[in-house]
Amino acid sequence: MVSLVLASLLAAAPAPASADAAAPAQGGASADEQKKLEEEIAKELGAPAGGAAAVPQPSSPAPAAGAAQAQTGGNPFARLLLLPDISAIGSAALAWNHLDVATLSPRGDPFAPAHTLEPIFQELEVGLQAVVDPYVRADIFLTFSPDGAGVEEAYITSLRLPASLQVRAGELYAPFGRINQQHGHVWDFVDRPLALARLLAVDGLRGPGLDVSWLAPTPWFAELHLAYQAVAPAFDTEDHPAGLARLLQFFDVGEAGALGVGFSAAHISEAGVNASRDVLGTDVFLKLRPPSSRSYLALQGEALLRQLNGFEAAGGPTGPEAPGTAWGGYAQAVYRDGPFFEYGARYERAPAPSGGPENRVSALASWLPSEFERLRLQVSYDRLPGGLDGLEALLHLEFIIGAHGAHPF
Amino acid sequence: MKAHFLVAALLLLGPRSTPAAALRVVTTTEGLAALARELGGDRVEVTSLSRGIQDPHFVEANPTLAVQLRQADLLVDVGLELEIGWLPPLVNQSRNPDIQPGGRRRLIAASAVEVMELPSGPMDRSQGDLHPAGNPHFMSDPRRVGRVAAAIAARLCELDPTGKEIYRARLTSFEERLTAAETGWRAALAPFQGRRVVAHHNSLTYFLDWAGLRATGYLEPKPGVPPPPSHLAELVGTVKAEGVKAILVESYYDRRSADVVAGHSGARVVSIPGDVGGSKDERGALEPADWFSYMTTLVKLVTGALQ
Repeated sequence: MVSLVLASLLAAAPAPASADAAAPAQGGASADEQKKLEEEIAKELGAPAGGAAAVPQPSSPAPAAGAAQAQTGGNPFARLLLLPDISAIGSAALAWNHLDVATLSPRGDPFAPAHTLEPIFQELEVGLQAVVDPYVRADIFLTFSPDGAGVEEAYITSLRLPASLQVRAGELYAPFGRINQQHGHVWDFVDRPLALARLLAVDGLRGPGLDVSWLAPTPWFAELHLAYQAVAPAFDTEDHPAGLARLLQFFDVGEAGALGVGFSAAHISEAGVNASRDVLGTDVFLKLRPPSSRSYLALQGEALLRQLNGFEAAGGPTGPEAPGTAWGGYAQAVYRDGPFFEYGARYERAPAPSGGPENRVSALASWLPSEFERLRLQVSYDRLPGGLDGLEALLHLEFIIGAHGAHPF
Repeated sequence: MKAHFLVAALLLLGPRSTPAAALRVVTTTEGLAALARELGGDRVEVTSLSRGIQDPHFVEANPTLAVQLRQADLLVDVGLELEIGWLPPLVNQSRNPDIQPGGRRRLIAASAVEVMELPSGPMDRSQGDLHPAGNPHFMSDPRRVGRVAAAIAARLCELDPTGKEIYRARLTSFEERLTAAETGWRAALAPFQGRRVVAHHNSLTYFLDWAGLRATGYLEPKPGVPPPPSHLAELVGTVKAEGVKAILVESYYDRRSADVVAGHSGARVVSIPGDVGGSKDERGALEPADWFSYMTTLVKLVTGALQ
């Protein structure tokens, strides 16, 4: 008997929060109640994601769907509800370079011809993200730049694989290192580190393929990636088949910190008998942020070692790529001062096209008026082998509209 | 003798190293964790992904949190896009198929409550960093917490039918204590009905609505937007004109703006816990320890300031 009462209590409790804490209607609905119901329906229709929807179901449908059932003629927002998250991210820069970097220090955008203050429209990224069906989600990023339009990434991610496995398939950034997998608008500094442009790929190592990852059953975060993709390394314009492996681990550092350590390896086939390109990389990321503060300190670094086997580097010894074995990397420190400001310093070492080391140091100051806009000033000093050196400056603006999915840490 | 001692020690250690809990519940906030503990008792092992001293909008998506989600038997989140900036990548990384939105091991607390501040017309971010699905800060409203508790209990019963009777009994007990406590809180608030306060963010909308108080203004001119001096000056005028006595600021917000307004208007700044475990006592321990003491603290601080 008691359990029956309990059961009915339970059944009644999560009922729609109609007229807040009001007693259940006795007998026929009065005009007042009718009006209340009307108001409630109007409210519910205004709530696309969660609203005043009803009893939490065992496998609850989209909350708003419950609300729509009360509407004759169906839900007028049905089309809207099925739209993917749409976002657009624009970036533009004002660049000045002392050196002729296009020939002396080849790299990716943005940069200006020597001694010219040049406004640059860098990129417009359009994101379309949604769950495809109960089994996979899709993330599509289209890019529009002065070079033309293209697909930056378009891949599906499995949601329901057993054994802690996950598969991503489609056009995607290769799981190699930290910065390579991030879109430019996630970086702290404006441009890609020189070492990554020269030893991995000038616009990021990516291409069609498959990335299978496994989350190890360890008390810390340990993720192992194995990927097979067609990628265009360094300054190459043609795709080559590549096998990649990456181990990424994260550890808590006290109450306020997280430490990430990654190891990556890529074996890329090249034209010619037994010709290949091997790249090894390691990356470290340490973020210290007191729990109740918006300020933090983030230290980050990557080192890469690349070896060319059985073929000449693109363009030969005078081309943009250093021949033989080469290494490089960067180390950076970024301090976020509350919600609105960020300062950083970065040191880089990369193989110059002539073979010697190129060293660059950069300083960064960012202003973030909101979560959706960022203005950055980056000033660098670049020193090439042979004593050539020069200053560079970038004033960079970035904005985002729409719903853009949160990025992994 | 030694052997007995060892056995006893092992027995003592045993339950800790291998918890006898039937369900591992992970929540996004301490408030939800406190509710899950009230309803699940010893049958559940509860972890919160964020701390009460953190701003729930800005939690780090540290992948080590995905490890906790990997083995979660139930994930309870607030919803209404409160955790949009950090929870989705963690759920994705966890590879736990059942805690995806709509999954049988996922409970979005907002689906159990009536939501306030639903946008009624066109909206864009010129209006601030809005929650387009409505205000997600309902965990300081006993009426809505009652509904969330019922929803959690219902889901626990579903996922662990053996414990059904226990969960139901605990829910009844929770509801009884809630009714009793609410009577006390309401009695304390009774002399202050209709009084006005200033808050930092619209995180107290539900609390004020329940408490019979009104927000005469916010330190933020728009949600998530920092106050320019012009806005604070205007606020000083309002505070003076309406005789507002209290400016309520969650402990994770910078209180400089609040102090400025207080200094110019004579109102008092009251630092309130943002959630269970949202403030530190003199010895540095986190308090309040559970949801009831969180509400009691909130009511006490607010009524104290309105005296």
